Amino acid sequence: MNHEAPVARTLPSRLEGIDRSLPVWVMAALALALLILLPLGWLAYVSVSSESGATLAHYGRVFTDPHLQKALWNTVVLAFWVGLASLAIGAPMAWLSARTDLPGKRVIRGLMMASFVTPPFLGAFAWVMLAGPNAGVLNKLYRALTGAEDPLVNIFSMPGLIFVVALYTFPYVFIMIANTLELIASDLEEAASILGAGRLQVALTVTLPMVAPAILSGFILAVLQALALFGSPAILALPAGFHTITTQIWALFHYPPKVEMAAAFSIPLLLATALLLLLQKRLLGRRGYASVGGKGGQRRRIPLGVWRYPALLGCLAVLACSIFLPYGILAKAAFSRAWAQPMTWENFTLGNFWFTFFQYSSTQSAILNTIELGIMTACVGAGLAALLAYIANRKLILGHQLLTFLALAPVVIPGVVLAVGLFVAYTRPPLLLYGTLWILFVAYVTKEMPVGYSQSDATFRGIHPELEEAGRILGAGRLRILKEITAPLARSGIIATWCFIFIGVIRELSASIILFTPGTKVISVVIFDLKEEGQFGAIAVLGLFMLAMTFAIVVLMQTVLGRDFLGAKE
Amino acid sequence: MPGVVIKGLTKRYGKVAAVERLDLQVKPGELVSLLGPSGCGKTTTLRLVAGFLKPEAGEIWVGDRCLSSPATVVPPERRQMAMIFQSYALWPHMTVAGNVVYGLRFKKGMTKAERERRVKDILGVVQLGGFESRYPGELSGGQQQRVAVARALVVEPEILLLDEPLSNLDANLREEMRFEIRRLHEAFGITTLYVTHDQGEAMVISDRIAVLHKGRVVQVGTAEELFQQPRTRFVAEFIGRTNLVDGVAVEPGVMARGTLRLRVASFGLKSGARVTVSIRPHEIELVLDHQARALAGGGENLLRGMVQRVSYLGDAVDYQVQVEGSDVILRVAAPPLLRFQPGEAVSLAVAPAACVPLTEGDT
Repeated sequence: MNHEAPVARTLPSRLEGIDRSLPVWVMAALALALLILLPLGWLAYVSVSSESGATLAHYGRVFTDPHLQKALWNTVVLAFWVGLASLAIGAPMAWLSARTDLPGKRVIRGLMMASFVTPPFLGAFAWVMLAGPNAGVLNKLYRALTGAEDPLVNIFSMPGLIFVVALYTFPYVFIMIANTLELIASDLEEAASILGAGRLQVALTVTLPMVAPAILSGFILAVLQALALFGSPAILALPAGFHTITTQIWALFHYPPKVEMAAAFSIPLLLATALLLLLQKRLLGRRGYASVGGKGGQRRRIPLGVWRYPALLGCLAVLACSIFLPYGILAKAAFSRAWAQPMTWENFTLGNFWFTFFQYSSTQSAILNTIELGIMTACVGAGLAALLAYIANRKLILGHQLLTFLALAPVVIPGVVLAVGLFVAYTRPPLLLYGTLWILFVAYVTKEMPVGYSQSDATFRGIHPELEEAGRILGAGRLRILKEITAPLARSGIIATWCFIFIGVIRELSASIILFTPGTKVISVVIFDLKEEGQFGAIAVLGLFMLAMTFAIVVLMQTVLGRDFLGAKE
Repeated sequence: MPGVVIKGLTKRYGKVAAVERLDLQVKPGELVSLLGPSGCGKTTTLRLVAGFLKPEAGEIWVGDRCLSSPATVVPPERRQMAMIFQSYALWPHMTVAGNVVYGLRFKKGMTKAERERRVKDILGVVQLGGFESRYPGELSGGQQQRVAVARALVVEPEILLLDEPLSNLDANLREEMRFEIRRLHEAFGITTLYVTHDQGEAMVISDRIAVLHKGRVVQVGTAEELFQQPRTRFVAEFIGRTNLVDGVAVEPGVMARGTLRLRVASFGLKSGARVTVSIRPHEIELVLDHQARALAGGGENLLRGMVQRVSYLGDAVDYQVQVEGSDVILRVAAPPLLRFQPGEAVSLAVAPAACVPLTEGDT
């Protein structure tokens, strides 16, 4: 066997032991730490600082100011009812889709995915046009049919807000419960039947307890969404004359900006989300999913009998509220001179498109900014998330558990809160990013990190470490293995991550609304501006444009990677 | 051709020691199996040798290079080794040729033509000529196994490591591949460490076997040595089936349990010391009374007993015999010529050489 002179004899043995890839891992970890800890650190610092040293005065004012107290309470009410409503809609639909012979399941799943990716603030706009008290299409129809004076519904109200938010939040509950139900093998239920339990008893004693963690954690997930949401409350609650925490924080940024107050107001929201998430984790961790796993096991469909079509109708009614009606009114508004008038030939126009894309001054730069940010964030975010997940999966550096924690931490940071932290952190030296696209970039990368990380984590879990070790023992260094073995195997997973992040970025509103400056608007911010000007036609055009971009990415992902956006493989 | 020397190797996971002060020497060109039940530390040892893990104590030497110590671990890629994995670890995105040629790309000064020639040669050796452009997913389990073997051998490693390479194959193929691996070892003569939990596999393939228990080597030897002269209870039970009789030494060559007396294969026992004796089932002979009388006075241990259970196994009959005047039940593997029924009284004859006192306690 003729080897070249072994390296050991030419190099000092200490040098031989050094892993040359270590700097890469350490840099990635440091980048993450900086990304998360800097804004949060500043947020905490500003909330307790004043010109005369440390103080709790901001917190005192936050909790004694009756306006802020009211906003706090409104948020609690909103979040609780959204959670409950999402559960009421999502759980039955999940059961129908996972366990019964409901017709048209593929279509329902597809539409569910559509409501999942629809930006909630677009839905809110659409519902303003559908159920605004005066001009709302549904109300006009109602008045025409009944001759009544009063509107049927007023969307500018707490119930209206809950309804609209729930329409775009219930898919979270649906996914959670449907995926769990899919995992429960029918044998478990049959084992109970053979021992003498009736259908209802089986459902109550076997199925329900097994799904219970998913139900509860779906509820918490919905509550978290509602807590962090900015767009829908801004569109529906402000005209109704009330605030939620997020809109209140935003309002505190209006001239003259009260950053300390906003920071102090952000901390309770941050803590609330963190606590809820912790609770959800414990619920899922205690019992349940592992034992639900199990291999094989047939899942037999429960026949609905005469209820098949009524059940389908019910599902479609829900999806009509979240998809058909809103998309319909957006399309109508985009193509008509006056959106509230009937769709006649005289009312038809392409002027809205002309106005939006060529006359309205900020559209073109906003589209460019959005796409630019989307691509940059998706590339950097997917890359960083992949590196971090790789480090954690292969335990490459000390404290890799901390890395996982940090990467997932932004889940508990509502966009508005993150924005406040970033605003404070990057409006002062050494990193003066405010006023540039970079601050939005940093915000998006941070906000999308949990999604990117969990995607990448799942990807690397699926790649057996022996595949890498086989290359190393044959003479390839870690970085070479990463490039030649791991990356090609992780390719489709990383592309999926890229798509997830891109979609997340182009619809982002809650952080952008605080961090944008006139030169750095993005599409969602322009839509928000247009609302102030009452330009519904243009809103509809831009909204449809945004949806088209989103669905293009979804379809691309489905065809290229052959997987469903909700995680199911075809 | 270097050998491997492992000295005092220790690896802990948290507080649990997976490998503890393990010593082992592999001579140049030798194939040594690490044999033991799951959790005995055999795979951890192999991965320490490969450089995937860092030891807490001890050293691993290959030739005159110290490759692992708590201070420095030479990374796997600079160890001149090759490894065959339990999962084969073939890269699904590369063809058979791409997989096999991979390690050659790191050999400086080798031309492309030379690399291709070597790939072709080695695929011939493992009987996969013509499969170069297939992908691993298009091959059967046995063929994948052979690609993994080719990929490891083509780089002409100083040391070859195998981690339960046959455990994913079905029974027939496994048997066949045992001989194949032994054949390749004889052809290439690479110093090899082979991890397995299957004693049959270890016996066919190895020059020597190291039996591991709780992170330590409890006995090293050829298959024959381990089977005939086990030194601990663990080895006696793990390699083949056996009867273990606990008792006390009454003379240097005799142990006693109650009224039972056994002459054993040793004259080194200390009177009064506790001793366990291992007797392989096939070393015990069931004899008829007149044969027993003929044997009496010879060197054999002669016992009387009562047959309790009989299981017919085809090539042998498995008996459980209760020894008269004792709580000892012996299992006997007898040829199927003579048949006894449950409840029948029999005599048992055992040569003292077959009664092996276990000299070392298990930790």
